[in-house]
Amino acid sequence: MSKQVLEGLRAKFGDRVDIVERGTRRAFVTVSNDDWIPVTRHMYEVAKGRLCTASGSDRTTGVELLYHFAIDPDGSVVNIRTTLDKPFPRIESLTKYYPAADFIEREIFDFLGVEFVGHPDARKILSSHDRPADFHPMRRDE
Amino acid sequence: MSNIIPIGPFHPVLEEPEYIQLYVDGETVTGADIDLGRVHRGIELLAQEKTYDQDTFLVERICGICSASHSWAAVLAMEDIAGVGPTDRARYLRTIVHELERLHSHMLWVGLGGHILGYWTVFMWGWKYREPILDALEAITGNRNNYAWYCPGGVRRDVPDDVWPSVLKTMDEFDAQCDLLIGAILDDPVILGRLKGVGILKQEDAIAYGTLGPTARGSNFDIDVRRDEPYGAYSEVDWNVIVQDGCDCLAVAVVRLLEMKESVKIIKQCIKNLPGGPIAAEIREIPRGEGIGHVEAPRGESFHFIRSNGSNMPERHKMRAPTFNNIPSFRPRVKGESIADAVLIFAIIDPCYSCTERMAVLGPDGKPFMAGNDLIKLSHAKTEELRKNS
Repeated sequence: MSKQVLEGLRAKFGDRVDIVERGTRRAFVTVSNDDWIPVTRHMYEVAKGRLCTASGSDRTTGVELLYHFAIDPDGSVVNIRTTLDKPFPRIESLTKYYPAADFIEREIFDFLGVEFVGHPDARKILSSHDRPADFHPMRRDE
Repeated sequence: MSNIIPIGPFHPVLEEPEYIQLYVDGETVTGADIDLGRVHRGIELLAQEKTYDQDTFLVERICGICSASHSWAAVLAMEDIAGVGPTDRARYLRTIVHELERLHSHMLWVGLGGHILGYWTVFMWGWKYREPILDALEAITGNRNNYAWYCPGGVRRDVPDDVWPSVLKTMDEFDAQCDLLIGAILDDPVILGRLKGVGILKQEDAIAYGTLGPTARGSNFDIDVRRDEPYGAYSEVDWNVIVQDGCDCLAVAVVRLLEMKESVKIIKQCIKNLPGGPIAAEIREIPRGEGIGHVEAPRGESFHFIRSNGSNMPERHKMRAPTFNNIPSFRPRVKGESIADAVLIFAIIDPCYSCTERMAVLGPDGKPFMAGNDLIKLSHAKTEELRKNS
C-alpha cells in the first residue's frame, strides 16, 4: 500500500499537498507550482518512485501536468498534479534530477507548449521538423 | 575528428522506418542521434473522439505485436474508473492471450536478433517456431494479431472447450523447441562473442533512465507489473520473474529466452485451472473520474491513463508504450562501443517504433541535430573536397 509514501509526503509538506486516495493502489496529489520540484524530487529520491510517464492536458483552468509515479514494491501508482497558467505555461524541469523525465517533458513541450525551464535539450520530439515552432497540436485555445 | 554515419530511415537491418546518426571517432561510437516519428498517427487525439468501446479496437492498432497489451491496459483503466472488475473466466482467458502474445513477440525478437547478427539459422528457427503460436492465437481469438479480444468487464467471445487440447499440444511442442533453441543460442561461441560484455547498462543507469521490461531486468532492475501489481490470473499461478545481473546484451537476451519458458508454464496452468461462468461483467457506463491501467507488455510496461467526464468518450486518453522509455538507454549503452555492435545494441531493447509512435532525438552535448538534407549537403561538400585533393 502506498500509505507510507503518502505519510511521508504529508510529514514533509504538510497541508501544501492535497491528497486524494482512490482505493488502496491509487492516489492523486495536487501541489502548487512552487512545490512541484520538491515534491517530484521527493517521489523519486526518497519514496523511490519510478516515473512511468506524464499526462499533459489542456483544461479550462490551465495546462495540467500529471506525473505518474509507480511505487513498485507496493504495486501502487501515486500521481502528482499541478496546473500551469495559460497562455505561456512554464515550470522548472525535473530532468536534471531524474534523466527519465527528459523525453517525457519534451513530449509535453511538443504537444502542449509547456516551457520546461532548465531542460538540457528542450526540442520538439514528435512533430515533424517542418511544422512551425509554436505549433502545439493538443492545445485547445487556438 | 568525429564523423557521422547515417543509418536509415529505410535500411535493410531496420524493420520499421527510423533514422539513426552515429557519431564515430575511427571505429568507436562517441554518440548517437535517433530520429523517429515517421509512423506517428495521432492516436491519442483520435482516441478522444471515439467511444470507450471503439477505443479498445483503436489502441490495438498502436502496434501489431503487442496489441493485446495495449487494449488490456486501456480496459484496465476503464475498469479502474468504473470500479468493476472482470469475471474469473475473463481474467484467465485474458492472461492466456497475453502470454501467447509474449511468446510470439519474444520469438520474433530472437529471429530479428539472428538476422542482425547475420545468423540466419537462428532467424529461420525462431520464426518457424513462432508460427504455431500464431495459429494457437487464431484458434482462440480468431485473429493472428489485433485480437479484438478485450472489452471493459471481460472478453468479447467465449472459447469452445475443444480448442484447448490443441493449444496444450502446441505448448508442449513449443516447450521442447524452446529448450533446443535456448541451448543452441547460449552454447554458441559466435553469439556469445557478439553479445557478452557488449552494450553495458549499469543498474543505476537502468533506474535513472526509467527503463522497463527485459531491458531493465537484464540490468538487475527487478520490476515486473505482473508481480508488482497483479492483474489477470498472475497472482494465482506459479511463475518466476527472470532477472539477470550481467547488464550487457547477453543478459537481456537470456531474460527474453528464459521468460518464454515461464510464459509456457503460465499458459498451461491457466488452461488447466480455467474457471467457468460468464466471460464479461456488465459495465453500463464509465462514470466521471480518472483511471490508470498498466500491464507488462513483451517489451516492458504499457501505461494508459484515462480521464472520463461522464460521457461515452474519454476526455483524455494518454498512452505510453515501453520503447519510449527504453530508447534513451541506447545512449549510455553505445558509447565507446564499435560501429559493428551499434545496431545490435539498438536492437537489444527490441525497439518498436509504431508502438512508440514518437520521435526521439539523442545527441552528444553541443552537437546540432542534422536533418536528411543537411547530411546530403555535407556529403556533397566532402565529395568536392575529395575531388579537389585527388
